[in-house]
Amino acid sequence: MPNQKYPKRYGAVAQGFHWIIAALIVVQFTLAWKAVNLPLGVRQLALLARHKSFGMTVLMLVVLRLLWRLKNPPPALPPGMAPWERILARVSHTALYVLLFAMPLTGWMMSSAKNYSVSWFGLFTWPNLIAKDQHAFKLLVSTHHILSWTLLTIVILHILAAFKHHFWDKDDVMLRMLPFSRAKPTPEQRS
Amino acid sequence: MMRHLPAPGSFAAAALLAATALLAAVALLAVASPRTAGAADAVTSYTADPQQGRIEFTGVQAGADFTGVFHKFTAAIAFAPDALASSHFDVLIDVNSLDTMDNDRDTTMRGADVFDVAHWPAAHYVTRSFTKTATGYAAVGALTVHGVTKDVPIDFQFTQTPAGAKLEGHAELKRLDFGVGRGDWKSTEWVGDTVKVTFSLVLKRKA
Repeated sequence: MPNQKYPKRYGAVAQGFHWIIAALIVVQFTLAWKAVNLPLGVRQLALLARHKSFGMTVLMLVVLRLLWRLKNPPPALPPGMAPWERILARVSHTALYVLLFAMPLTGWMMSSAKNYSVSWFGLFTWPNLIAKDQHAFKLLVSTHHILSWTLLTIVILHILAAFKHHFWDKDDVMLRMLPFSRAKPTPEQRS
Repeated sequence: MMRHLPAPGSFAAAALLAATALLAAVALLAVASPRTAGAADAVTSYTADPQQGRIEFTGVQAGADFTGVFHKFTAAIAFAPDALASSHFDVLIDVNSLDTMDNDRDTTMRGADVFDVAHWPAAHYVTRSFTKTATGYAAVGALTVHGVTKDVPIDFQFTQTPAGAKLEGHAELKRLDFGVGRGDWKSTEWVGDTVKVTFSLVLKRKA
């Protein structure tokens, strides 16, 4: 692994986790928006079933991703960044990880509270996290909803930050997460 | 010719003898097969207490099982392990009392495309025959749901208790056999066809 010695770029596995989860977030928002605009019925049931299966996939992936990250630390931030930028980067990345857990977990709890056990693409059924409870369900729906908007906001911030690094600061922060690209050979970044 | 005929008195005696013999034969038959002769009296009649008993159904929705109950039902149970031929179950379920612990799903299930309780508020099960099995008993009966009647076999255990008896068993049926699920709900892709029913009835001996 080249990034073990000189972690200037994210490795293929870390990039894989990042982009697969990113794509799944897009899928999740699309399915959820489609589903909430449908009346109660088979089509809504089908969309939500997929939403739950993909959500549980994200949960499994983020567990693996964090385990991988513990063994393979990410490349350091470029040295020129201001302290507030470093803090903001750290907080927003932590928030993204927290949300990647919180979104599927609140969704899973919602299903349990409504007595709709979560199947993973019809292959197996996850156990219920909490007991059936209408009040808990309503609370969890609002939580899941608020968290989804929080996630969307931070994702947009995350994308804007990547563009800012690339186009404004002209560093390789964005490029090192992109496959098929090469990090700019800036010697001062070797740290 | 007259000489060969028996006297009127002896004719009457013979008739009496024949009648006695016939009676004796009937009595002997009755003693020889007490089960058949006494069956009608041997069954015990019970009623089920819906507060203590449960009738549950489990369906498959989007790949995962979900379970609901019928809160309201009445059951007239006449049963005796040694009088299966005279045993009889008659169970009436208020379909409107279904509860899957989710209002959205309950409303959908009561609606016109699923159980259509406005037109078919009751489900009815009446047994026709019983057999002894290795683990308990089996019965075949006619189940009427959504206005459609089909034979559905059940397996059950019957345990006598001081106050009456306990009846626990299960059955499996196909919802589409009864036309439960029309329009979008007819598809079995997201809602399975097979529904499992389990019941646990607390029976009180009829006074």
